[in-house]
Amino acid sequence: MISILAGLLALSIGAGLVGALSGLGGGVFIVPGLVILAHIPMHIAIGASLISVVATSAGASVAFVRDGWTNLRVAIILECATVTGAVSGAYMAGLISPPVLEMLFALMMLQSAWFALKSQGEVFLPQSDELCTRLRLGGEMPGDDGAMRPYGVINLPGGACLMVVAGLMSGLLGIGAGAVKVTAMDYLMKLPLKVSSATSNFMIGVTAGAGALVFLSRGDVAASVAAPVALGVTAGALVGGRVLPRVNTDALRKLFVVILVLIAVEMGWRAWSRI
Amino acid sequence: METAIAPGEEDRILRTWTPLILRSVLIVSSIVMVGGIARALAFAPGFYVRRFHAIQHGQLHVRESLLQLADEMRHGDPHGIMTIGLYLLTLVPLVRVAFTFVLFLRERDLVYVIATAYVLVALILGVMLGRVG
Repeated sequence: MISILAGLLALSIGAGLVGALSGLGGGVFIVPGLVILAHIPMHIAIGASLISVVATSAGASVAFVRDGWTNLRVAIILECATVTGAVSGAYMAGLISPPVLEMLFALMMLQSAWFALKSQGEVFLPQSDELCTRLRLGGEMPGDDGAMRPYGVINLPGGACLMVVAGLMSGLLGIGAGAVKVTAMDYLMKLPLKVSSATSNFMIGVTAGAGALVFLSRGDVAASVAAPVALGVTAGALVGGRVLPRVNTDALRKLFVVILVLIAVEMGWRAWSRI
Repeated sequence: METAIAPGEEDRILRTWTPLILRSVLIVSSIVMVGGIARALAFAPGFYVRRFHAIQHGQLHVRESLLQLADEMRHGDPHGIMTIGLYLLTLVPLVRVAFTFVLFLRERDLVYVIATAYVLVALILGVMLGRVG
């Protein structure tokens, strides 16, 4: 038993660490890790991953909420969209065969790699549009001098549509889909990048939680796998979060993107040979 | 409109209480899961290994009710303890959303009451969908 536990813990700590350092999240690495290395069926791997995403989101978002980076009102409104997508995605996952899910996962990994390499520009809107003003979605974030700096928010319908897609990906494939969430807020709704990241991190917990509840009640979460994986990924993500300010993230991200593409090819090939 | 909480106060309450809620449920669920793993290591290592191999071969698919799990936990069954820990973990977002719902209800902020109620209903619907799916 010790060797199985040690293997699962090593795998999940590694996935949490790499996920935090690359900014892609542990889910993208733990699912292929469990499927390819531990020979765990795809549905069980997704269930375990969703649980670990809930844990890492709860751990990572605490500091962002406390320090005022998370826009709680934007998160509450957009969670309606992500949860709708997540519950639908998790339900659909039960109807899709493992090789097809693996192929979809491989495609998602390639999309994540592309997102990771894309440069992100900082935007700062002084005012919100009419709908966002009515919903009081604009906020304040800590500036360089410590004073709070106000920012505006626009295009809620566009952001919400992309959030349904993010939720669908999360529930279907067991990931946080943070890259899509950040894109929706940063690119479409023009929230400042750090606010988008912090708000995405906060929302990931509810999104993954919605999917995890479907998997748990369907019997697709095996406690013997999910419990050590959740503990390991959380530990790895916590260590990664502490190491992050001291490493060259650009070089690391490029390295992890190469690894991600290799895993995606392996996973895609495995799936293709069984479809 | 008259509100039960001073304007802007809900943000301060959310920023103070949300981290506390997240951290507390996370710690409790982690302790329960570590307890389950430790119990498996001490009393049922063979059972854990057999279960793990059954999972690998796709032969284990158990759908248990919360009452069954609570009963297993009462008898010190490691699997029951770990699964309860996992359920507790998924309560992290549920508890956080429920807290926000109550806060906006006190504030009588209809849009946010509806938004949080929708998320809560969707989470509960997720459990029901899993049961029939």
